[in-house]
Amino acid sequence: MATLDHPELRESLNVLLKNARPRLERVLRNFEVPPEDAEDILQDAQLTLLYKWDKIRSPESWLIGTVKKKCIMYWRKRRGSLCEAVDTAILDLISVPQAPEQEKTELTYDLNRVLAKLSVRCRSLLRLRYGLGYGPTEVAEQMGYRTSSIRKVTNRCLAALTRQLLAVGFQRERGSEPAPQDG
Amino acid sequence: MARHPNPAALVKLAEGRLSRLRSRQVIRHLIAGCAACDEIVAQASRFDYAGSFSGAWCATEQRDAALAREKAAAPALLQELLGALAATPEAAQALVAGSLRFHAWAFCEHLLDTARELGFQDPGRALELARLGVEVAGRLDGSIYGEQRVRDLGGRAWALLGNAERIQSDFRAAEKSLVCAERLLDKGTGDPIERASYYLAKASLRGNQHRFREAFRLLDRVMTIGRRCDDSHLCGKALITRGFLLGLANDQEAAIRLLSEGIERIVPAEDPRLLVAAHHNLTLYLAESGRFDEAMSHLERTRPLYLALGDHMNLLRLQWLEGKIATSLGDFARAEALLQPVREELAERRLGLDFALLCLDLARIYARQNRSAEMRRMAEEMLVIFRSRDAQREAIAAVLIFQQAAEMERVTLGLVQELSEHLKECRAVPGPRSRGAV
Repeated sequence: MATLDHPELRESLNVLLKNARPRLERVLRNFEVPPEDAEDILQDAQLTLLYKWDKIRSPESWLIGTVKKKCIMYWRKRRGSLCEAVDTAILDLISVPQAPEQEKTELTYDLNRVLAKLSVRCRSLLRLRYGLGYGPTEVAEQMGYRTSSIRKVTNRCLAALTRQLLAVGFQRERGSEPAPQDG
Repeated sequence: MARHPNPAALVKLAEGRLSRLRSRQVIRHLIAGCAACDEIVAQASRFDYAGSFSGAWCATEQRDAALAREKAAAPALLQELLGALAATPEAAQALVAGSLRFHAWAFCEHLLDTARELGFQDPGRALELARLGVEVAGRLDGSIYGEQRVRDLGGRAWALLGNAERIQSDFRAAEKSLVCAERLLDKGTGDPIERASYYLAKASLRGNQHRFREAFRLLDRVMTIGRRCDDSHLCGKALITRGFLLGLANDQEAAIRLLSEGIERIVPAEDPRLLVAAHHNLTLYLAESGRFDEAMSHLERTRPLYLALGDHMNLLRLQWLEGKIATSLGDFARAEALLQPVREELAERRLGLDFALLCLDLARIYARQNRSAEMRRMAEEMLVIFRSRDAQREAIAAVLIFQQAAEMERVTLGLVQELSEHLKECRAVPGPRSRGAV
């Protein structure tokens, strides 16, 4: 079992963290993790590395892989609530009962402009959702999806829309279409 | 365009922390398209991580002092526990349950490593220690070590227990333990190395159950983890396990190839027992494929590894293997001289199935030399050893057939071969009566 009481081990861990730091920083930046949350992620990964030092044969690869995975988990959780906030806000906006006609027209125009930047599939799905007020089952029926998979498809499209509005929490190297775990 | 939202609100929204009403206002603004606000969010995302790194390091250093104390205390605690275990397993369980001193990460790891080390050398003791390991892991304080890390260690302990149960041929218990391991690992840190250890244990069980396709799929996952984590030793372990299983499936040529590849990849100092086991099986499969000269020269090359390890059971197996090769080469006098002492030791240790298999190796010599009287005497001894234990019905039946054939002086090499294969299968797939080692 590893402890930093052994000067050799302390040195090894120091060297490891020094070497891995540029790559770790790159990972954190790519995932746009705020510093206070990054500290939690780094601390957790380092503590696990310390506890399991004897079992991990390639600590640098392990540490970078672990931090990357934690960043993905971090954003999966955050992005879920962000997409939900966007969805709820849009549903709220279009359902305001006594909004002036001009406001409604402007909203429809702006929303269409944003949706136009999405893929055909997402555009159709979100138009049914926001334009016609369809629920998930109706959207699934209309677009030929199984009811069991409509939630996943909707989440992907919401993530794409969120990315259009606020490009944060999506890895920069990825394309414009969200990865399957989005949402 | 409406008034720009407060930059703090934009950042809060990006972090998913803004209220519903404020979110509506901000998102309405963003839908209209606002480059200035996009820039604010982008600016907020240009982070400086210097403080994050130093803060994380401070926390690591703080935890280390406590770990150092735990590590220093672990060997003495293990001795104390072994003392209690020598009295009764219940006394050891009570000691672990009743004293907080034992509820420590370093001690738990030390206990599990010792159990793994004993593995095949002393399967009964390994099983007892693995059970205690599960008990200790279940009592670790998540608020000290981290809930997810504690679950990882719990998963490791259950996987080790499952493996110890498999070695004892209690496959049903092994199955249950591996389910517990998986449940804990699912809620753990997601550490791929822990997951790989679990897959290795499960693959070995599936192999023993002759569910080879599932076993190989699990080993593929271990290889993927090994490659991803840059862990050549782990890849070597997966290849060696695959080699063992292919041997069990009677595909000696593929087994030889994979074992050779695996041996190349593992770090010898990390797991000398695995290295010896891999070389041993490689020699065995070379001999079983009729490549006796290669087998003999390989055995001579690897003999120092057995001696360096010094494990008595391994040395016994080496001698048995030498006896088998000598039989195949027609050197019956040497073969018998090598096999007889092993036979006595196996009888003494009450390792019934191994004893029977070795007797069948001797039977090959007696059959070729027409030594019917010795054959009859040996067959009776086999039956006595088998009947004194909770042996599998199918295995007893095989020994009975042998005994009757010996009685009638009708033992042929073909019969010996057939019974030998049947007993090997009984060892791999025990029936419902089989619990402990036969």
